[in-house]
Amino acid sequence: MLYSQTFSGGYLSISIHFISKQIISVCWDMIAYIIKTRDYTFTLMKKFSYLLIALFVSAIIVSCQKDDAINPNDKNTVTLEFDNRVGDQKLVLGTTTAKNALNEDFTVTRLNYFVSNISLKNENGEIVKFTDKYFLVKHSDPTSWLIKLDNVPAGNYNQVSYIIGVDSLKSVSDVSQRKGVLDPASYGDDNMYWSWNSGYIFFKMEGKSTAIPPNMMNTTEYQYHVGGFGGMTGKTPNNLKTITLPMTTTAQVRANTAPQIHIINDIQKVFSGVNQISIAKTYMVHAAEAGIPIGQNYAKSFIVDHVHNEKD
Amino acid sequence: MKSKFLVLAISSLIYLGVACSKDNSQVIEPEELFAVPANFPKPVYDFSKNPLTKNGIELGKTLFFDGNLSRDGTISCAECHSQPSAFTHHGHDLSHGIDNKIGIRNSMPIQNMAFQKEFFWDGGVFDLDLFSIAPIENPVEMDEKLGNVLEKLRKQEKYTTLFQKAYGSKEITTERFLKALSQFMLTLVSANSRYDKYVRKETGGTLTPDELEGLAIFKQKCASCHSGELFTDLSYRNNGLPVYNKEDTGRQRITALEEDSYRFKVPSLRNVAITAPYMHDGRFYSLDAVLNHYTDGVIESKSLDSSLKNNQTLGIALNKDEKAKLTAFLKTLTDEEFLKNKKFGI
Repeated sequence: MLYSQTFSGGYLSISIHFISKQIISVCWDMIAYIIKTRDYTFTLMKKFSYLLIALFVSAIIVSCQKDDAINPNDKNTVTLEFDNRVGDQKLVLGTTTAKNALNEDFTVTRLNYFVSNISLKNENGEIVKFTDKYFLVKHSDPTSWLIKLDNVPAGNYNQVSYIIGVDSLKSVSDVSQRKGVLDPASYGDDNMYWSWNSGYIFFKMEGKSTAIPPNMMNTTEYQYHVGGFGGMTGKTPNNLKTITLPMTTTAQVRANTAPQIHIINDIQKVFSGVNQISIAKTYMVHAAEAGIPIGQNYAKSFIVDHVHNEKD
Repeated sequence: MKSKFLVLAISSLIYLGVACSKDNSQVIEPEELFAVPANFPKPVYDFSKNPLTKNGIELGKTLFFDGNLSRDGTISCAECHSQPSAFTHHGHDLSHGIDNKIGIRNSMPIQNMAFQKEFFWDGGVFDLDLFSIAPIENPVEMDEKLGNVLEKLRKQEKYTTLFQKAYGSKEITTERFLKALSQFMLTLVSANSRYDKYVRKETGGTLTPDELEGLAIFKQKCASCHSGELFTDLSYRNNGLPVYNKEDTGRQRITALEEDSYRFKVPSLRNVAITAPYMHDGRFYSLDAVLNHYTDGVIESKSLDSSLKNNQTLGIALNKDEKAKLTAFLKTLTDEEFLKNKKFGI
């Protein structure tokens, strides 16, 4: 596809576009004049008209191609932005109050999840995979909301896919393969690893709710910790969720375009995406089996809201 | 021809250089650090990802005995895994951890770790290198964060030196820390009981007639689960204990399978005579109590192991004489060399 439906930015492309339009218009005026006057008397003029036509054609080509041609050797960065929201409200940890479908109020004090196995599919159906890249989105750390994917080949991408969690291969890997956000020593008080049942906590949401009945632990807090990759030596529950999202506006990677895909995660759906979760009944989830309904819910909480294709 | 000679000459020079740069005192036969006993199965642990070294083991041992691995510096690994009790916690049903808090399980002996495919009573951990995180981070055991432990170690010159020696540089990382602990635990091999010497036909390997009869009874009535030279088939079974703690559903906590409810790891019986109390919750204080359970105490339930259901009778039929001989045999599994080996202590 040579034609872009999106707006373009950047001085260089605007000026090239402008100059070629000027050339077309000047050429057209002169050709019209020659045809109209049938003034072929001067050989010089005849030659000049050929030159004009050549200039005209090439200007049209430049103008139409603009900078939308996909050069397979070009590469650029694609950024996924994870924008966590509560319904139509901004999510401020510990502050934003909302109600679930069962009219139970809640706040969110912690929201963390792993994103891995990201892939992008282009209009030709070709898939670019980003293997061995693991990200931990923590709502408390805005820098973690942006996931940068480097060296993405130029193309128009209309689908993004990722796993919420840490795939089974990585979950059983040697400790030498567990670096960065996968280092079990890296979590401090905000743990994302189950040591008693070896595996990562894929998704964690904690907060307060007045719906929680008086209980032995005297807690007013709900804690949803979801993990479970399927087990290594024995089969265990599997809460790995692959999220596949279409993009109506393609992400157009070019030498001068590094698209940003803006993903909204509506955590309201954590309570109601597929299964209605009552906070009064379910407020402590710390095991794979108990986390299954919540996992099914957040598998439906993500959408691509829009794509930015601004040029550099 | 000339170039071939050159290659040969250079490579032999390199070889000489490498060979000569080695300090002879550092050359240790790998068998000295870990050897598979002749009567044992193949190890499960993949040594290629963590080759044992003298300094690695030394570091692991130092860590094993260091209270800094716990939140307040009071609880080391050795607290609940002490050598004279085959590296378990003697005298407590449930192991006592930090602030004298009590866990839900009886700590297991640390022995023959290289031969286990899973760890803990429920098998929740499948890699020895990931094992140590659990007691460190358990709120009723050491109640510390792995990251904090590493920070504490980084501040001690003793450890920067030990890590340097073990790994060639001072960096204290999760991998190095966990693998050093694994190295020490891997060396804890118990295979020199009188029974072992008997099966390997070594000196000192004589069993009395009673013990031999006990062995025969064992093979007939116990070895379907406590099988092989590890005296466990490493499976999870419900041995018909009345449920004292409904919350602790054993293997089911890991697999979420109904059939696994109240199933626990079949423990090894090596050093069994000195590792009381028995069962996952330490409810039996003597071998007599254990054998009495198998003859008279087995409770029917959905997940009760089929080997404990024979026709209409539950449990294992053993008379008083058989029990005495069985006990005599079980005592031959005590490995004094292991319990007293100075190499394993500080």
